[in-house]
Amino acid sequence: MRRLAAWLLWLWMAAVIVAAFHWAPLAKDFLGQSSRILFFHVPMAWVSFVAFMTAGVASLRFLAGRRDARRDRSAAAAIEIGLVFALLATVTGAIWARIMWNSWWNWDPRQASIVVAMLFYAAYLALRTAITDREARARLCAAYATLGLIVAPFFYFVLPRLGFSLHPDAVINLRGKVDVEPKMLTVLVASSAGFTALFFWVHRLRTRLADAEERLLEGVE
Amino acid sequence: MFAKDWRAERRARHAVATLVLFAVTTLVVASLALGPIGATPGERSDVAAALLWILLLFAAAAGLPRAFVHEEESHTATALRLAARPSAVFAGKLAWVTSLLCLLEAIAAPLALALFDLELAHPARFAAALAAGGVGLAAATTLLDAIVAQGRGATTLFAALAFPLLVPLAVLAVAATRSAIGGGEGAEAVLQLVLYDGSIVVAGFLLFPVVWNP
Repeated sequence: MRRLAAWLLWLWMAAVIVAAFHWAPLAKDFLGQSSRILFFHVPMAWVSFVAFMTAGVASLRFLAGRRDARRDRSAAAAIEIGLVFALLATVTGAIWARIMWNSWWNWDPRQASIVVAMLFYAAYLALRTAITDREARARLCAAYATLGLIVAPFFYFVLPRLGFSLHPDAVINLRGKVDVEPKMLTVLVASSAGFTALFFWVHRLRTRLADAEERLLEGVE
Repeated sequence: MFAKDWRAERRARHAVATLVLFAVTTLVVASLALGPIGATPGERSDVAAALLWILLLFAAAAGLPRAFVHEEESHTATALRLAARPSAVFAGKLAWVTSLLCLLEAIAAPLALALFDLELAHPARFAAALAAGGVGLAAATTLLDAIVAQGRGATTLFAALAFPLLVPLAVLAVAATRSAIGGGEGAEAVLQLVLYDGSIVVAGFLLFPVVWNP
């Protein structure tokens, strides 16, 4: 069953890539083919947010429940993957900025806020390495990731709106509606759904790997 | 908690002296460096707002993360755990750090205005921005200090954990302070700052018992 789901996901993502390059029209006022990066850049930013929220919820459940160490490992895995997606969103954004604005980086509020979000979660990994006692590490890291549940929405939704931004705001905007052509929107939603499924799949693999590592360490001890 | 920390401070005079000296030195150096440039009042008010908050952030990172680290180092944390409920410990430490920051702001803010030769456009908003920024800074540093106190290399770790959390606060506080000095729209920033403070304080009270008790 899981094998079939993995194959379906593979097919889905392949279809999304083909649709992004051949089926979806180009957006107005964008240089050349540059608007096609939207179908990858936006879902990556979205998945990084989903990953950080997943980590927050796993940590909250860890603290509120019976302190199951698996939940702690699940949170750590989600943050690791979330950081990768946030980095990819930043890089794709920089490539697009180079094409449209002729500069890789110009401290646009959105660029700044995703960097701050990355620093916040990179600090989580630093905290994990700084505490040797397993019980204390799980407990303190869970508290920190739960704090992320509160501040991450600020990073993703409040900070980007402070100050003047050149970033296109067709998807998330103050007008409360989506200003994208129907075909583009279809590909964007399909891509976001695909990337989200991809995240949960990789997250499950990473958590299982972490569980296996833990068992191995217990065996050694 | 609050009284105990002030009594300890009165005996040792460590934190207040360090913080005040740090604030005065930084401001004097900055005004000496920036004075000869001949900036317009508008430019000066922009610089002063940013500088004031950079100073407060660094003072918080340099002088304040002693609230819990000190308790762990002097092995008094266990006694505290036995003597008071976690919420009381957090409230006491938060009050102590807030009072220290307010004292620092009371010295640094008028000094910054005087050294940069600035008039306030909205004195009430200026006070509100300082108060709201101070409370948020105190709440965030108190909670993170409790976390890093139990790890290795507390000071470096504190900086790594604190800065991302303090960036939204700093951005909002600078916007509010700048508008209070130079005029213009900025009341919204104060409101957002209060909201951010509220979230951090509530998170602090909810998470502190977990962080504090093994």
